[in-house]
Amino acid sequence: MSRMEKTESIIEARGLVKQFGDVTAVNNISLFVGKGELFGLLGPNGSGKTTMIKMLTGQIRPTSGSATVIGVDVVQDPVGVRERIGIIPEQETPPSFLTSTEYLDFVGEVRGIPDVQKKADWWFDFLEFSDKRDVLCKDLSRGTRQKLMFTQAFLHKPALALIDEPLINFDPIMQHKVKEYLTDYVKSGNTIFISTHILEIAEEICSGFAILHKGKLLHTGTVAGLKENNQHLDDFFLSLVRKDDHG
Amino acid sequence: MAKLFTCMMKEEWRIHSTIFGSLSFALFPVLIFAITFMGSFLLPLFRAVLPGGNISLVTHALFVLLGIMVGGFGLIGMEAMNRRFGQASLLAFSARSLPLSERRIFLVFVVKDTVYYFILWVLPFVAGFAVASPFIGVPFAIPVFLLITLTLAFLTGLSLVFFLSTVYARSKRLLFVAFVLIIIAWAALYYLTGVNGVFLFPPLILFRAFSWATLLAACALILIPSAVAVMLFSPEHADTTKRFKNAIAPLTKKLSFFPNPPLAAKDLIDLNRSGSFIGQTIFSFLIPLGLLWFLLFVLAPFLPPGGVLLLFAILTGVISSTMYTWLTTFDSFSSYACLPVSIPTLLTSKICSFAVLQMIPAALIVFVSFASGGAVYLVPALVLCLAVSFYALAVTVWLTGLSPSVLVYDARVLFLYLVAVGVAIFFLIVLAFMNPYYVVASVLLLLPGWLLVKQSYRKWESWDQPGF
Repeated sequence: MSRMEKTESIIEARGLVKQFGDVTAVNNISLFVGKGELFGLLGPNGSGKTTMIKMLTGQIRPTSGSATVIGVDVVQDPVGVRERIGIIPEQETPPSFLTSTEYLDFVGEVRGIPDVQKKADWWFDFLEFSDKRDVLCKDLSRGTRQKLMFTQAFLHKPALALIDEPLINFDPIMQHKVKEYLTDYVKSGNTIFISTHILEIAEEICSGFAILHKGKLLHTGTVAGLKENNQHLDDFFLSLVRKDDHG
Repeated sequence: MAKLFTCMMKEEWRIHSTIFGSLSFALFPVLIFAITFMGSFLLPLFRAVLPGGNISLVTHALFVLLGIMVGGFGLIGMEAMNRRFGQASLLAFSARSLPLSERRIFLVFVVKDTVYYFILWVLPFVAGFAVASPFIGVPFAIPVFLLITLTLAFLTGLSLVFFLSTVYARSKRLLFVAFVLIIIAWAALYYLTGVNGVFLFPPLILFRAFSWATLLAACALILIPSAVAVMLFSPEHADTTKRFKNAIAPLTKKLSFFPNPPLAAKDLIDLNRSGSFIGQTIFSFLIPLGLLWFLLFVLAPFLPPGGVLLLFAILTGVISSTMYTWLTTFDSFSSYACLPVSIPTLLTSKICSFAVLQMIPAALIVFVSFASGGAVYLVPALVLCLAVSFYALAVTVWLTGLSPSVLVYDARVLFLYLVAVGVAIFFLIVLAFMNPYYVVASVLLLLPGWLLVKQSYRKWESWDQPGF
């Protein structure tokens, strides 16, 4: 029985292609992510991970192929997709001239989230940046900006969150806290889709994974499956990528 | 220093060629050359209507304006680049990582802007005129002189804005006082001696009659403000981390009649806190229009009744349409990428915020109408100004979507803009000269404007937004 048949689909991509001029950033990728997974999209820099996330979140249109996210077509209704999900983009870019509190208020208004300040307060405490509530986003450190982006993505408790490099700007203590949060979030029936090139994180928290290289999908599988074969994700990843590099 | 200068030149070219495309941007000086070359053949026609001196006055004033605009954009470059490219880092802001003082980097930045924009604007403009000059009976010495005096005019604008911006950084109150003093001095000169201050502009005097003393005066007008700017430039930044009370929640409530209140509230907060509202109103609106008013005043004897005010209303409308860039320059569209906001929603919101900003040109037209004794033409002037502004906005949105800065240097886009807006303006000027009240018909421009905006929604929704 395939993975697709076992679980309810939350992301389904079929033959996605994205070209920027002569460059094919994503080349004919089909992917399936089931509900309740913590799925990792892995690959070296420039492998097409961010482009893939941008297509799945309706930020850019695929050149060809199709995808549905929570049952919504990303090309036909990109805004509908973004209504239902949470996104943390690769570059943490909250609006420069709003304060942290204002930005979360703004997100609350746009998304129609009730009691947004109460929810924001919980996040300020949880991610330990209450002292930055009234500071303009442009004056925040990268780590604090990522905390803020993390908050905006989970403020409305989405059924699916797509996160590009989830822990890259966090200190080890905050990384631990966030990893625990993500694991618990998935346990409560939600889905997380992360893109990362830090394999230790993927091996530690992900259930399923896909490896991209030069825009192509090299492999999809589960971390549990690797462990059953006594394989480590980083060894597996490196052998696969090197093999692809050498044709 | 030389290495930094070369790198800054390369950086400026790469910024422009990345935004506008290498070919489009490389064609920009060619377009300037072509426009000037062809425009030169109209000179005999202009001369029949206007004294030659006024044409040179207009040309020099345009280059002062150009210097002001180039300088103004240079100073907001960092935030604008961050909005376009994400976490951009320009060499001008690299004192932290290079063993160079901020003051020295600022000096090289000023020199770079001077050389770069001389090549981009002044040289092709004069070259176009020089090539055309044998065909229209203009002695070759005139373009040579023009190359010197237009360069001086451009540098005057550039140095003025660097000077004013460093004053602004030190004390906004001081800048305000400086402005008031300049206006009082100008008005006093006019009312006491009858001399319009623009005719005392050294590069213009130099163009009309060369003298070493005037050349020195023209150079002093550039060097003194530049030197003061470099001296006043303070690399010591106090802790710039400011704290603000929550303004978005109350403002969103106040703007509840807008289609997208939180987006409009964010726009207004951005404008206020980025300093754009005051800065742009002064540098991109009041200064250019102030200069244009004095120019039109010179043309008054050759224009029909109400002509000066109506021409001013048209120019105010065109310049007001650039307020759209105020709303987009500092807005990082990647902020919206994680939200359920569509491109048409963003465009609608920007147009609504733009409509709020139109209170500024409306107030200016009311003021100028009464101050110039032309209150009888207030209604047509107001309708004309706002109709032109909204129509030019619609053309801008249609051509550039959420990236209106493309207008500046993409030759194809600029050409289309000039045709679309220029044709409409031509007919409005004809109407204004036939009967001042006929220009109320300009309200009809709102129809093609509305259609263009509708088209824009479809057009830009299907594009991948940079930074989105």
